[in-house]
Amino acid sequence: MAVDAKTLELRELVLKKYRYIDRKWDLVFWVTAAFVVGAAADITKQLFAGDWDFWTDWKDRQWWPIITPFAIIIIGSALQYIQWLAWRFPTGMTYTAVAFWFCTLVGRWLQWGAFVYYPMNFVWPATMVAAAIFADWVLLKTRGSFILTSIIGSALFTIAWWISNYIPLAGLLQPAVWMDRVVTLADVQGIEYVRSQTPEYLRIIEHGSLRTFLGETQYVAFAFGTTITVVGYWVGQAIARGLAIWPIGRFLKKW
Amino acid sequence: MAQAVQDQESRTLSEGEGRQANKPGRGPIDWLGGWRTCLVGCTTFILLAIAIRIFQQFTAWTDGIDASSEGFAQTYRALYYAEVLAATIGTLVWWGYLVRKGRQLVNREVSHDEEVRRIAVFWGLVGTTSVILYIMASFWPNQDGAWHQTAVRDTALTPSHIPMFYLFFPLGITITVGTYLYGRYWLPKVYGAEKGFPWSFLFLIAASVTEMAQVAMNEWGHSLWITEEIFAVPFHWPFVWYGWLASGIFALWAETAIRLFGIEKEVEDAAENPAEVGTFGARREEHEAIEAIAS
Repeated sequence: MAVDAKTLELRELVLKKYRYIDRKWDLVFWVTAAFVVGAAADITKQLFAGDWDFWTDWKDRQWWPIITPFAIIIIGSALQYIQWLAWRFPTGMTYTAVAFWFCTLVGRWLQWGAFVYYPMNFVWPATMVAAAIFADWVLLKTRGSFILTSIIGSALFTIAWWISNYIPLAGLLQPAVWMDRVVTLADVQGIEYVRSQTPEYLRIIEHGSLRTFLGETQYVAFAFGTTITVVGYWVGQAIARGLAIWPIGRFLKKW
Repeated sequence: MAQAVQDQESRTLSEGEGRQANKPGRGPIDWLGGWRTCLVGCTTFILLAIAIRIFQQFTAWTDGIDASSEGFAQTYRALYYAEVLAATIGTLVWWGYLVRKGRQLVNREVSHDEEVRRIAVFWGLVGTTSVILYIMASFWPNQDGAWHQTAVRDTALTPSHIPMFYLFFPLGITITVGTYLYGRYWLPKVYGAEKGFPWSFLFLIAASVTEMAQVAMNEWGHSLWITEEIFAVPFHWPFVWYGWLASGIFALWAETAIRLFGIEKEVEDAAENPAEVGTFGARREEHEAIEAIAS
């Protein structure tokens, strides 16, 4: 098969040998950047949606699927823009998810587990890896359309996030009888593992008078969670475009 | 002739090249050469965080609950004073060194080897910044939530606040400003003063400074409003907004990578046109050829 000139030119560029540039630059960049990316994703999640992520009894159907996908897509979206712009890599969201997972797992195990002695089956963090893979896949399939990714990707992200975290949560939603009330195992965990500074009335889950809502609360939450996640996606885009890319080569003349 | 060549080299060598160039494995892009700063810097602060964490494991529940107790004074209050003192002295010494040494060498011409080594050192400082930002924004905040939602709010000085707000948050300022000073004096072709102040560093330094300012607002807020805590209270949100400013760190990698490719281009051009005047790389090859003949 004949190869065109452009392909040959690009192939030559990829295989070019440099005097100073070797794979160590890539290794140092990708490994050291993972710290700040994971940390940015973790602090965004902790301070926007932390409470719903810290405890199994706060992983409800009404608030958790709204707030958490919004919080966690922000930094992932920023990295999607950076990695697509720089290298055409459809990996930004997944890279963020993996770095974020390491950061949050270390924090959860070392601090919430080993420091204040909550069991990991009570304070396990939600994962966004599966959701991130779907969002990156949408970016790839739309050939780098951030608008389409923000809509389709966010929808897939929210649903995939819920499914991938419902699996570990489902076992803790089994009914239990506690003080003559039917509650879930997660509720029992929340009552038995005392949180001194988080009083029991401070419990922002499953509000509303139509609590059963014909069992459709979570579907309504998906719909609204998706729209909020679209907003979060564009917040991330603004961060990448305005704070990461725009400053390159720009200087303040008077300061 | 050989002496003239040697004189020329000594005016253009900086300490990195003169000291390290002859040692194997200490080249500009070797792990124990240009990349040593990255390894040492990142490891140092990770080990520091681990050491404090181990200290807390043995003392937090026994001496860290009550800030008015004698045990607290001997452990955490002492740690607080030691941290503030060490961070202040260390910062002033390091920044002072960077400015003094930097002023001496900023206008000296350097070889490509040396400039690449400096970019690797710069990436090491940026990597260290990334690690410190992780410790600031993930490692300690996880503990802060864990402690203050379970133990007690108490005062602004608590076992989790002391290493977070009063050591690593100030170290964030130390490392970001220090990295700027290194770039300004050691990489003048990228961050020289005549270009102005880089927006990338403005955002990154602003992130660390505003985070420190937010500590004050945070503690005032906790003293003013209910101390029962959900982590997602609105007056915690500025920590996140200021943290987003640290995205400027990506611009640092990009700006120095662009210079790195520029150096590769200069090396290529010098190889193609060895007689070209004005390209230091070309002159260096000439000097090497002359030195080879002379010896």
